[in-house]
Parts: sequence; structure tokens; C-alpha cells
Amino acid sequence: MTTYLPDDTYGVMREEVRPDEWVRTTCGYCSVGCGMLLGVKGGKAVAVMGDPAHPVNQGRLCPKGLSEHQTIDVDGRLTTPTLNGAPVSWDAAIGSMVVGFRRLLHEHGPDSVAVLSTGQLVTEEFYALGKLARLGLGLRHYDGNTTLCMASAVAGYKRSFGSDGPPGAYSDLDVADCILLVGANIADNHPLLAPRVIGNTASTVIVVDPRVTKTAMMADLHLAVKARTDIVLLNGMIKILIDEGLVDQAYVEAHTSGFEELAAHVAGYSLERVAAECGVDASLIRSAALAFGRAGSATAAWTMGVNHSVQGTETVTLLNTLCLITGNVGKAGASPFSITGQCNAMGTREAGATASMPGYRAWDSAADREELARLWDWPVERLPVARGRAYPDIIDGVYDGTIKGLWIIATNPPVSFPNRGRLERALAQLDLLVVQDGFETPTTALAHVVLPAAIWGEKDGTYTNAERRVSRVRAAVAPPGLAKSDFDIFLAVGEALGVREALYPGWKGPEDAFSEWGRVSAGRLCDYSGMTWDMLDAEGGVQWPCVPGTTGSPRLYEDGVFQTPDGRARLWCVSPEPIADAVSGRFPFLLNTGRTVEHWHTRTKTGRVGVLEHLAPEGWVELNPADARRLGVAAGDRVRLVSRRGIVEGVPVRVTATIREGEVFMPFHYDELCVNRLTIDEFDPISREPNYKQSAVHIEPMTTP
Amino acid sequence: MTLTLTTLGTPALLPLEDGEQYRFTFDMNSCVGCHSCEVACAEQNGTPVDEAWRRVGELESGSFPQTRRFNLSMACNHCLEPTCLSGCPTKAYEKLGNGIVVHHPDECVGCQYCMWNCPYEVPVFDTAKRIVSKCDMCRPRIDAGQSPACVQACPTYAIGLEAVDVAGWREDHAAGDGPGLPPVGITMSTTRMVLPPGDLSGMTAADDHRVEPEDPHWPLVALTLLTQLSLGTVATTVVLQLAGAASRSVMGGAAVGAFAAGAVALGASLLHLGRPGRALKALRNVRTSWLSREVALFSAFSGLSLAYAALLSPLLGVLAVVAGVAGVYASGRLYLVPARPVWNSWRTPVAFFATAAATGPLLAYFMLDRSVVAEGWLVALVVAAALGTLAQVAVLVHLAVVVRRGTDRQHQGTAHLLLDRFGGRFQGRLALSAVALLLLMGALLEPLSSAAAGGRLGAAVVVVAAGELLGRWLFYVTVVPFRVAGSFFRTRS
Repeated sequence: MTTYLPDDTYGVMREEVRPDEWVRTTCGYCSVGCGMLLGVKGGKAVAVMGDPAHPVNQGRLCPKGLSEHQTIDVDGRLTTPTLNGAPVSWDAAIGSMVVGFRRLLHEHGPDSVAVLSTGQLVTEEFYALGKLARLGLGLRHYDGNTTLCMASAVAGYKRSFGSDGPPGAYSDLDVADCILLVGANIADNHPLLAPRVIGNTASTVIVVDPRVTKTAMMADLHLAVKARTDIVLLNGMIKILIDEGLVDQAYVEAHTSGFEELAAHVAGYSLERVAAECGVDASLIRSAALAFGRAGSATAAWTMGVNHSVQGTETVTLLNTLCLITGNVGKAGASPFSITGQCNAMGTREAGATASMPGYRAWDSAADREELARLWDWPVERLPVARGRAYPDIIDGVYDGTIKGLWIIATNPPVSFPNRGRLERALAQLDLLVVQDGFETPTTALAHVVLPAAIWGEKDGTYTNAERRVSRVRAAVAPPGLAKSDFDIFLAVGEALGVREALYPGWKGPEDAFSEWGRVSAGRLCDYSGMTWDMLDAEGGVQWPCVPGTTGSPRLYEDGVFQTPDGRARLWCVSPEPIADAVSGRFPFLLNTGRTVEHWHTRTKTGRVGVLEHLAPEGWVELNPADARRLGVAAGDRVRLVSRRGIVEGVPVRVTATIREGEVFMPFHYDELCVNRLTIDEFDPISREPNYKQSAVHIEPMTTP
Repeated sequence: MTLTLTTLGTPALLPLEDGEQYRFTFDMNSCVGCHSCEVACAEQNGTPVDEAWRRVGELESGSFPQTRRFNLSMACNHCLEPTCLSGCPTKAYEKLGNGIVVHHPDECVGCQYCMWNCPYEVPVFDTAKRIVSKCDMCRPRIDAGQSPACVQACPTYAIGLEAVDVAGWREDHAAGDGPGLPPVGITMSTTRMVLPPGDLSGMTAADDHRVEPEDPHWPLVALTLLTQLSLGTVATTVVLQLAGAASRSVMGGAAVGAFAAGAVALGASLLHLGRPGRALKALRNVRTSWLSREVALFSAFSGLSLAYAALLSPLLGVLAVVAGVAGVYASGRLYLVPARPVWNSWRTPVAFFATAAATGPLLAYFMLDRSVVAEGWLVALVVAAALGTLAQVAVLVHLAVVVRRGTDRQHQGTAHLLLDRFGGRFQGRLALSAVALLLLMGALLEPLSSAAAGGRLGAAVVVVAAGELLGRWLFYVTVVPFRVAGSFFRTRS
């Protein structure tokens, strides 16, 4: 018989999970950044609840958040460092890593070792890792899985505004007169944004998505475009805005450059052409453009439908342009909003040292390098003069043997990187693969050295969410076995390298890193200098820029002054390019990929949470009923998918009219039915983000096992 | 079609007025299919992952891009006429004054009859505890003035809790119907649906393709077949005795056989229970549960059969037959549940009595001292068995026609299972009946006391037994119950 007892915070709950203590923290899954309370009983995480006081989610959580305490004490946690599969001490593991990397760097030069990190660490750890990788190890090549996720948004913001940094806030969704969601299935992927969109009943909601997603059902206008016709659509919408006199001329003249070229460029995008190429009714496109143009305030938000493209960066600039020419930047309800993926992708963008130096400083700017060297008290010549290889180029370097040592932190490339076959051949060639993670994964299975890390719930720091809100993350329980926080691992590596004090002067814990990062960010767009951990505790999340004496800023560019040399936002002309892996007689279906609400990334965590795993235990492929009939398959049948790069067998068929004939969809979370055996390894030339969403495949029925 | 945040919101738990009860509301407009309610429910109640109390299904209609898709989050509907409660043999269910239908685990024997009765497949069998469990609307929270966990968790306020005027709802409960749901009237579900505008007909569920065979319930196969065999045998014996066709001295074997069959049946039925040690509780609800009545009547039948076998008193025999007929009727009647339309037909009791006719006389034939029974009576036994088998064939043909013509998921599903997936076994069942009839006819060509006839009838017994076994297996396995629309990977079974 279950005993229920009252809990002052949660209400009535089961005795066995009624916590001794609730620890205030921030969800560790997506970048929405929901505040939550993590319940601890007898040293175990036993319950969670949404933080009713948190401005992001006001006490509500998605199913992943609601079961997040179940990710901690599970099978498959890494509990001891290993060397070639055998348990060793921390000293031995880090010693062999440092000796190995140093030997490679000595024998093969500074290009021979690289780091691949993540969007999952706390900002303090990203900041520490950046210093360690670039200064301590002296590496030229360091990037993160954020390049698989929002690199195009970063690059697009930089091109349009002169800097990264999402200008808007979630509250824009509450008040916008028009919300345009492009390639953003928030109902599945950012569920706690959905109530804001639904709750804003006065707004016109436009969803641009090739599938009839759960999010499409929230729309007043759903534009079910053919795959990768978003550029044509956006050019067409811009032309309608210009033709209809819906351009905010005053804003354009005062704050942008390139309008004449843009107007001339889009002149060729007649409504008839756009409708035909997008496969959407002309009237629907016109209605969407007019709704956006006539709105007092309009927000254009996007996620992976835009970013996961060889033209992702350019598409982002078009969304920025759409907002700029209608004056929808820097005011309430109006912004071009990249809804980021990971809980702290923003933290690594701002404080890390991958695509840019900490504080959005440019590697190729002598002034930025000198400033940072001064702040760090390191010789400026120790700082690289270029960002180095981005993620796919690191993999290329591994494949061709240039890179011989790789340190992978909290990411799982065999499942998440496109063209898995080639990736696995590359990783198998490494002289030294060090993997630092909280869990056994397909990546740790390949590692020479495994470093067991603490995970969410076991360590302290901050996350920055998609609206630039910095919130505290807290250790509630101790990590298992010998596992320790990534922060402590980085300090230990610094120690082994003999540079701990030089890198981390007087640091005792992550709060020291936060203080230093605050000083380093002072005066930059992403200014954290007014924040302290105590202040974050008091405010429950603060949006940067935050200078001392303030409590942060809800949005950027309110003055219309941008980070470009001339202070004007740049309007770019963008033309669509054909799909590289186009369908053919042999590969007649265009494969799209994406997510489902029950799972997170490569299921490292959610695959271990019974209630989530039970809801979506394996991958599937969505097929239009007409295609299913043609293939002679029915719902629940198993099929084989073949692309020019690989095969996936035994995929259950879901027959659904939510997908266009000729297009198919698979979720990307599954190691077992890994869609990335099929996807093309083609990348945005600017952001280096993969083009996950269009790969040609052949489908054949399989006899039921 | 814009989804809108429902106006229902999270209710303040106001005290109920007279004549009111609590109920769930579900706004299909607002639900985005995030499954938070399911996770919150599991966390609140500690339910195992495959025994969820609240589940979210997926519905779809139309063709691309004019496709419509909705989600359907349902838990217990806390019905006005809860068939889980009325069918429960142990009175493990209780409808509280505030409307909550609660299940008392200590009273449950794990017979799972509530799972057959509920058209929403709400009660789930807890494989660890060997009893069922179900949503209690988070009663401990309600008692403390707090919303249920699902209501609390829903990010879009699609699930609500409100008071309903019970009498008014009895008058007009149309707002309880919705796509993906069984008709509200079966049990007077109280959940109020807020539906999207426009045509919602023709919505398909993501689990429509998943028509899975039900458990064969081997203990129940044994219980039903053996009680029917036993009744047929006792009845044959008693008729022969009353007609003076045979003296008491030759009846004993048949009566003992009949009792033995019935006793084995009751023993086997215990294996069906999750908690056989509590089996006696199953007699508690004779007032409304056909299952309690079945248990009571078969117990009486078994006792009277034993007495009859021992004493061979015609009065006891008649009483045994009366109890047996009533028991087999109750046994058939308990399958007549609206939640399982293919069972819910005259075919079920007819088939049960046909089994008694097809098997009992044959067992009696072999247990009697045939040398002292008049040939004419032996012919009557064989003819009775043949008529029983013929009746079975008629029932099967009728079933096949009805399910093939059916337009609903329940009949079409049974057609798929019975005639397609297990079509070979269905034909085998019919073929065994045909062979049995030939053997019975063939036996009539010889004097029935002869060895040749005995041989043919012996073969007939084997064939009839095989046919009945196969037929009863098909009966349990091919029924397709009402259910709430499910998700792609999960149905309620």
C-alpha cells in the first residue's frame, strides 16, 4: 500500500520519494532553460518539479524535465577512469592523456591534436576548457557539437548584425502580433515555448515546415513547403513586403545597409514562381507575408529546419532581413529569434573559445587578441590567430591522418554526426582518443582513455538559455564512484600540464571561473560583469548584457546600433542552391531528420529513463500513405533504407499524411536505427553546420522477423 | 485551425455541491502531445512504465497538407455506471461520494474481469503485485485540496478538473464523446471533451494498425470447456436415469466423470487469478457481477455433482443439472460485455451450451456400461453430440459473416485475426467439426454397442475435443475490445 504524505513545496506525494530537501536548479536538456527544483532524499535524486517562481516556465516542465532525476542514478554511468578498458587512477588516466597529447604535438606539430566538446557543460567549465585547450595545450583546433546545432544561427547573426547574440526574449512570443516559426517544431522540441505561442491568442501564428508537425497544428497559416525551399519562400515574402509598401523605410534607412541590392535581388521572386517552387498555395504565401508585414510587432523564430542546411547561415540572414526591413528588431514582440538547442550552447558561444574567443572576440582581430591576452596575463603570441578547424574539418583531419589525438567531451559523434560509416573509419585511426562523459556511449566504447564526469544534478555552475538568461545549476547529489565534475577534470589536466596557476589563478571552484569570466566579458555585447552567483540566486535568472548595478536586459539593439563596423545591420542577398544529394530513380525519397519530444540528442540520458524510453523505444520512418501503397508496406511493417552512404535495416513504418509524398522522416536519436548512417556529410561553407535534412534514400520492404 | 489555450485552466478545488462529482476535462485544442501528463502521473503514483494510468494517443485525418492531427490524453473517466465496479466479483471497486472510482488493492483477486468490462482499458494488470490498478484521480491530493498530478503538469492547461452535476450529465452527456473514444453511453463516462471545430469524422489513431491477439487465458479455456463437458455429461446421465434407460448401477462411472471434469475446471480457474489465495472473495458480488454468479453456481454444481455421483439420487441429479445450466449461462453471460462487442452476442452462450451438447453425451457414452443401455438411447446420445457440433458450426459461420461485414474497429479487427492471421486455424476448427460429424454419422452405421462403432466414436471424441479446444482458443485470442486511441508504439494491452 502506497503511503502519501504532504510536502510543503510539491503537495501530496509518495512517501518514498518525498525529499529531505529541494535544490533549486535549471533543467539540463534544452535551451529553453526551465527553472526546476530537484528533490534529494538520503543522498539520491528522487523527484523534480518545475520552479513556480522561474520566469521561463512558471512551474511547468516537459516530460524530459519531469523525469530528469531519473537520469542520475542509472546503469551505464561511468564511475572510474579507464586506460585501454582497464580501470586506473585519475593520475594515471590524465597522465597518459597529457603525455600522449604532448608526444603527438611534439612529433606531428600543433595541428595533430583537437578537442570536440559540447553544449552540455556549465559556462564556468566552458570558460576553463577554452583556456585549457587554447593556452594550456596550445591547440589550434577546438570545436563543439554546437556546430551540429546552432552554428548557422551564430554565423547568420554575425553576418547581419556584426555579432552573435539572439536579440529577443521569450516574452516577445507572449506579445507579438505575428509569430513566424520556420523549421521549428517547438511542440516536440521546446515544449515550454508552446504555451506562450498558444496563449498569445491575438497573434497570427505562421508555421513554415515541410511536415504537418504538432507545431503546425498551432498555426493560423501552415506553409508546408517542399524541402529546402525556405530561401525561395523568404525571398518571395520580402518581395511582397516591398511591393505592398510594408517596409519600414525609416528603420531601413537609419539602421541597415544593402536595401537597394536586396530589392533588386528579390524582384525575380514572383509569387507564381515562389508558390510553384515551394509547393504552397500562392494565397497562403501572400497571407503570411501580409500578416508579418502588417503586424505591429512580429517575431521570426527558427530552429534546425533552418540551421541544418548547407545554406543555413544564409537562411538565417534572410530571417534577420525579414525582421530588419519591417523594423522588427529591438522592441517588444519583435525579433529574429534563434531557438537554441542545448541547455548551455549559449554559454560556450559566449565564454568558450571555439568559433570565437571569450566575449565574442574574433580570433583574427589583433585588438581582440591583445585585449584578451592582457586580461589573462598571457603572452599574446600564445593565442591562435584563427579559429582553426570546425567540427567537420576536425573529422576530415582525423580521416586523412592529420589529426592523431582527439579529446571528446560530452558528445556522441557516432550517433550524431552525418555519414556514420566514414566517421567510424576516421575515429578508428586515432592514435589517442580521450573521451570524457557521464555515461557509457558508442563513443566511450572507442576510447583509449575514458574520464568519468559528473553530470547535471552533480555539479555547480550556470547555464545561459536561448533568450540570454543566465540561471544557476546546482549540485544536489555526489557523482558516482570516482567521477568528478568537468571543472575539476580541467583543473587536474591543467595541473598535470604544470599550468594550473597560470590558467586558473587562485581558483578553488566554478564560482571563481564565473568571476573571472565576468571581468573578461565586461564591455562586450555579452557582458556578464554585473552578475554574481548570489545575484542569480536572488533574481532567478538574469539576461545579459548585465553591467554592474543593473539586473540585465530583455533585448538587444533597442537603439538600432549594431556590432558591424558602420553600426548598420547588413541586408544580404541570398539565392537558393540545388539539393546536393537529390532524389533519383535509384534513391527516390528525400529523407528528412528531426526530433521527438520523448528523447534528447543520442538518448544517452533519455534512453535510460524508463518512462520516456517506453513511449518511444525505437526509431521509425514516416511515409505518406500513397508512398506506402506504392512500396506495398503498411503501418508497423519493417523496411530497409539505403542511401549513397549506408544502410539502416528494420525500421518500423509509420504511415501518415503529415508528410509530403516523396519525402520521408526519421528521428535522429537512435544508435540502433541510426539515421546518420544515411545522411550526407555536406556542410554549410560559412558555419560548417551539417545538412542533415535532405538525403536521397531508397526504401524496400523487409519480411517481418 | 488555431489551437488555443483552453479557458478551463487549473481549477481551484471548490467543494462539491449536492448532486455533483469531480471529473476530468480534456481540451483537444490545447494539447500539444508533450506527454508531460503521463510522466507526472507515473511520478505521482509510482506506476511501472507499462502500466500507465494516463496515456496520450494520437489521431489524424485528411491528406497532406490539409492534414489534421490531434492528441488524446485520457485516464479513468470516473463513470456514472462504472462497469469495472459492477462486474467486479470481489467488490474491490468503490465509487466515492465525490465521484472517484477507486480500486482497493487488498480486495482484488486479480481476475482482470474489470479489464474486460472497461471500454477505455483503464484498469491495468500489475504483473508484480498480480492485481489490477487504476487512476484514482490522485485521491490523496484531492483530499488535500490539490489538483491531480496530470492537471498540475499540463503546460497548456489541456487537462482540467471540474465539478459535474450528475443528474444533468445523465440527461445530456454528448460532451463526453470524441474521436478515438468509445461511445460515452456504455459506462456514462464523465470526462468532458472540448473538441476542435470542424469535421472530426474519419480520424485514424496512430495504433490502428496494431491489432494484436489477446491472451488465450488457458485457465479459462479449461474452466469453460470442462464445466460445459461436465454439465453435458451430468445432464445426459440424469436424462437416461429419469427415462429409465439404464439402472443406477450403470450410471456411476458417468457421474463420477462429470464431477471430475467440473472439479478440474474449478481448480484450473484458480490459475487464472493473480491472487488465488483470495479466491473466496470472488463470491461477494452475486448481486451485480456475473462472475460472482458463475463462481457461486459452478460451486453449487460441483457439490451437487459430487453428491449425485455418490448417491445417484435423481433429485440431486436434477438439482445438479439446474445448477449447471445456470452456471454455464452465467459463464456465457459474463462475456456479454459492451466493451467487447464480438463477445457481446447470443453466440457466446449458445456456443457454450453447444459445447456441452457436443461433448457431454460422448463422455457419457464411454463412461456408461453400454451393454445394458438400449440401442435407441445410444443413438440419441450420438445424435445429440452431432447436433451440438452442428450448432457450433452455425455459430462460427455466423461469427465469420458478422465480423467480415463489420465496419467498426472491433469487428474488423476480429475479422483480421480470425479469418486472416489465424485463418488456417479457423478453417481447421471448421474441418474438425466436419470430420467429427462424419465420424458420428459413420458410427450410426453399426450397432452402437459394437466395437466398430466404439472405435469411430473414440476417434470422434478426439476430433471433437481438438475442435473445441481450438475453437475456445480462437474465442479468447481474436476478440478486439473497444479502446482509447493510442500512440504509434503503444496500445493499452
